[in-house]
Amino acid sequence: MAKGESPLKQFEIQPIVDINFLGFDISFTNSALWMTITTAFILIFFTVPFLKAKKTNSVSDLYPTRMQVAAELGFNFINSLLADTVGKEGKKYFPLVFTLFMFILFGNLFGMIPYSFTFTSHIIVTLALAMGVFIFVTVLGFVKHGAKFFSFFVIPGLPVYMLPLLIPIEIISYLSRPISLSVRLFANMLAGHTLLKVFAGFVSALGFFGILPLVFIIALTGLEILIAFLQAYVFAILTCLYINDALHLH
Amino acid sequence: MPQLEQVEFFISQLFWLGVFFVILFTVLTYITLPRIRAFLNQRDDFVKSHISKQDELIKKAESIIENYEAKLTEAKNQASQIINDAKDKALKESEDLIKATEEKIQHEIKQTEERVAKEKDTAISELNDQLKDSATNFLSKVTNIEKGNINL
Repeated sequence: MAKGESPLKQFEIQPIVDINFLGFDISFTNSALWMTITTAFILIFFTVPFLKAKKTNSVSDLYPTRMQVAAELGFNFINSLLADTVGKEGKKYFPLVFTLFMFILFGNLFGMIPYSFTFTSHIIVTLALAMGVFIFVTVLGFVKHGAKFFSFFVIPGLPVYMLPLLIPIEIISYLSRPISLSVRLFANMLAGHTLLKVFAGFVSALGFFGILPLVFIIALTGLEILIAFLQAYVFAILTCLYINDALHLH
Repeated sequence: MPQLEQVEFFISQLFWLGVFFVILFTVLTYITLPRIRAFLNQRDDFVKSHISKQDELIKKAESIIENYEAKLTEAKNQASQIINDAKDKALKESEDLIKATEEKIQHEIKQTEERVAKEKDTAISELNDQLKDSATNFLSKVTNIEKGNINL
């Protein structure tokens, strides 16, 4: 990083190919480039190990390859996550949760590569994902329960005189779900990458003693990788919980 | 903060996010995940079938053991039966032999006794005859009567 450069410069969007469609600027940017890389990587990682035609002549044909084990790990992780939070009905929503988790996870992880771009550090991206989830679970709730879905805002077993106070609170908390979901991911990515850049700036500024912030950013990079996992996990598990709420109300 | 300042790229970001998310979701839903699931199911089925086969084999082995044990007990019973029979037979034979021997001895004793008695009788009668002869001789000499006329 050059001296005097803002630590926020890493979040700048740079158009690679200018595209204008019906007056809308849909340029292919560095953000879109890393989305492409993420999508391609996930598809290759999870599809290629299973492309080979299967035969079951002997036991050894059923031994998974290393790549298959790695892919199965991700598959079983989301499978058990859904089974634990939603139960058996959750199987239908497996592809959605899987896609969300992997897209965010590898978006975060590729963002850890120096000079790359973290598209999950943009509020517009995370908000779009969160709004997508929010609209999906709301529609799901209405499809499953119709007008009964509104009873979700009434906590059962509560005295009637508390309802005028608690129903608005419930509605506000419901409506704030996409905001909390998106800001959590966005703020974590923003703060982590900014912190890394700020301390990276100290390395050159402190001369010999720059070794101290260097050690610190090495440790911080490890923490950031953990957070990359954790935030993808939080996003996925909250999506599961919202689906569970929509299916079972209370 | 570029996230809030570069508003001109919002549409672009949303557009590409939509494009890639839909591509990812569609391919994963219709190609990748069913393949992984089929693969896992196949392995599960294989393992399950082998477990049931194993159960079958265990049952078979158990029945074989049962059969073997039954045969073993039967053989043991037969063996003890044969031993008992042999014992009984031997005992009976020895008893018979003892009995026969005893009978024989008794018989011989009896015969000997009879013979002894007979010989005794013969001896006594011979002695009697000799005594009678001597007496007759003595009387005929004393009385001069013909031997044939003396009747004792």
